[in-house]
Amino acid sequence: MSSAWMNIQRNLNKLRWVVLSIVFCMLILIPFLHLYQTYEASHAYDLLSPTEKSISDTMEWLSSPFIKDAETDLNKLKGTTWSATLFGLKISDPLAVVGQISAGKTIYLPFLMTALIPILFTMIFGRFFCGWICPATFIYELNDSLGTWLRKAGLPVSRRKLDFRLKYLVLGMGIVISALMGVIVFAAMYPPAIIGREIYYAIALNGFGAGMVFFLLTLLFDLMVTRRGFCRYVCPGGALYSLFGRYRLFRIKRDVEQCNDCAKCNVVCQFGLDPLRDNFSQECNNCTACIAACPTDALSFTINIKDIPNQGAGHLGHEHRRQQE
Amino acid sequence: MKRRTFIQGVIGTGLASLLSENVLAAKNQPSLRFLRPPGSLPEEEFISRCIRCGKCGEICPNRCIKYFDSENGLLSMDTPYIIPREKACILCMKCGEVCPTGAIQPVEREMNAILKNVKMGVARVDKTLCLSYQGKTCGVCYRACQLQDVAIRTGMLEQPHVLDGCIGCGLCERSCIQIPQAIRIIPDHDRVVV
Repeated sequence: MSSAWMNIQRNLNKLRWVVLSIVFCMLILIPFLHLYQTYEASHAYDLLSPTEKSISDTMEWLSSPFIKDAETDLNKLKGTTWSATLFGLKISDPLAVVGQISAGKTIYLPFLMTALIPILFTMIFGRFFCGWICPATFIYELNDSLGTWLRKAGLPVSRRKLDFRLKYLVLGMGIVISALMGVIVFAAMYPPAIIGREIYYAIALNGFGAGMVFFLLTLLFDLMVTRRGFCRYVCPGGALYSLFGRYRLFRIKRDVEQCNDCAKCNVVCQFGLDPLRDNFSQECNNCTACIAACPTDALSFTINIKDIPNQGAGHLGHEHRRQQE
Repeated sequence: MKRRTFIQGVIGTGLASLLSENVLAAKNQPSLRFLRPPGSLPEEEFISRCIRCGKCGEICPNRCIKYFDSENGLLSMDTPYIIPREKACILCMKCGEVCPTGAIQPVEREMNAILKNVKMGVARVDKTLCLSYQGKTCGVCYRACQLQDVAIRTGMLEQPHVLDGCIGCGLCERSCIQIPQAIRIIPDHDRVVV
């Protein structure tokens, strides 16, 4: 393993935060660009209120290097992570496709095709959406840091464990209820879909809707019941990505000869997995926090479709030495 | 109480309340006179196709598309609607283009394609309210219509007559100078194209 590649991997967690921030900023930016478009379409700049004028000016300054005609060119950039139009290419969340098929009981091919790219990436990188893109993750991780501070301040922050299989039950029930009601229920309970929509409502329409209440409840659930509980135990999208990513190509592997059993990886893992004993499983979202935390560079990405079974104590640790004697 | 029974109880109650007629029945709600965006599928199919992504509203240059909260029943939560008296559809047909699921079908922005594929409702004139029928020549609804002489024509004293070609975009209702408006769109949620 060359040290340059290791260096990159140690910094992937920072890169991940950059990506998460960019996605979140885009969710805020796109509704503002939409407002700018409507101001352009109404051809009445001088009649705008001062706030509207400043929105219009800022958006013009931001977008003018890339486009010629705001009214039409900005139509290529629309939507949220639930379903987006990126430079003319339509991309949808696989959960939206699954939910829509069960609600409509028909397969609409053009819509199915929009989920191909995410599914392909998931089969290579596993639950990468959960760790690298999901706008809810951005907030949930900040919420988790808040939980850590509250804990240090002496407030009771519960971190009990539930059964991770609960979310597969939620996924299955969601599909059944969607089929029974003829409505995609995931749209109302899937945090990234809710966040994208609510940000748009808040900026361009009349403020937050009912979905925001649900999202705030999930934040409380994460603080009061279990760490990152919604992603780990409830999220139907996480369940679907886990299933698609079960035999992912890229996964994190522990080099047992370099490991010193310090267990920092287990502490930083917000999903409560066990990198220290090689238990990543399909739940791992490749967030690379453990790689960044490892003091001996024992954790790194490999290409392998299965996890390595428990390799035992790290060779640089006390336990291994005791076993040798 | 055991945890298992508690969870079963919660899930059971949730399911029951979700499926109960009261919550389900958008049909039983007091009738809101709303339109769906142009090119939408018949109501029940529309509800099952729409994934609530919000892109139709995000692309609407006229900002006439809004979204239901819970006022029209849980089934139509977060689905797009148009109230023509507030802001009517200008038939730019961009929402159908951006819709990923075909809940709003893509329709070309061309008269024959629109006449063939779009049916949001149909306009109805209230002759007791309409100025032209009271002898005060008006004709504003006719001037506002994008499909003049196909959807609406004027007779003596600019009296409006709605024709079969009316697709219910609502520009006439929006422009009517009477309060309350003398011409209204009656939504057609089966969206049968004549």
